[in-house]
Amino acid sequence: MKHRIAVVSGFLLLAAGVACAQAPNDAQIAHIVVTANQVDIDAGKLAESKASSSDVKAFGKQMVTDHSGVNQQAVALATKLKVTPEDNPTSQSLKTGGAENVKKLSGLSGAAFDKAYVDHEVAYHEAVLAAIDKTLIPNAKNEELKALIVKVRPAFVGHLEHAKMIQAKIKG
Amino acid sequence: MRIAAALGLVLIAGFAHGAGTTHLVVMDGVKYEPASLRVKRGDTIVWVNKDPFPHTVTAKGQFDSGSIGVDRRWTLVARKAGHYAYLCTLHPNMQGSVDVE
Repeated sequence: MKHRIAVVSGFLLLAAGVACAQAPNDAQIAHIVVTANQVDIDAGKLAESKASSSDVKAFGKQMVTDHSGVNQQAVALATKLKVTPEDNPTSQSLKTGGAENVKKLSGLSGAAFDKAYVDHEVAYHEAVLAAIDKTLIPNAKNEELKALIVKVRPAFVGHLEHAKMIQAKIKG
Repeated sequence: MRIAAALGLVLIAGFAHGAGTTHLVVMDGVKYEPASLRVKRGDTIVWVNKDPFPHTVTAKGQFDSGSIGVDRRWTLVARKAGHYAYLCTLHPNMQGSVDVE
């Protein structure tokens, strides 16, 4: 219960951070994209090694692969556009939330780990999709940056659906 | 006799290369393009992955590409008539279909 409150408050913080912060510029948006991917890569690596269900393990591995692929494109685009990703409050709250999640997951094992990881993946992808729709896409000025976010958005939807399927399955 | 044998070779060569048309489906932006495809028996379908992460082409109980990596392709020769709805098992919102006549 305590954990759930911590996770929820983390997301509220993220949502609040996104809502209250001034509209991010392209350099900040690029930083948010890279950070959001990196946070999910870190959790995925943990699931790859710690998950007990083969579905959860495979999902963790997929998150590492997919989000690394997106980040390679994001970094390549930022380099091409000569944009240096700029740290910002949204990135910081993403990072803090990710570190808290990894810390919490590190103390769990077996079915409890699987459930906590998958529950977090569902909530995380929902939060990131909300940020994509409400903040990142509307504020991106550069057309190529906007196009990249629009193009990878369905992958996040796919991850969310996939995570929900596993969530239902491991619930039994 | 020799002519008949030569014709036989042509026939075999024809089958080996897939006598029908080849169709291309591009996987890009977590979509199959075109999402629905109508082909004839004997046609070849090639799926090419242009996304920065793997996809699959999976019709449960019918065919399954397994993971198709970045810039990789997967080929299927349409042998049996029917309607095949397929999806990417990694991104279940990515769906397509093939009708084999």
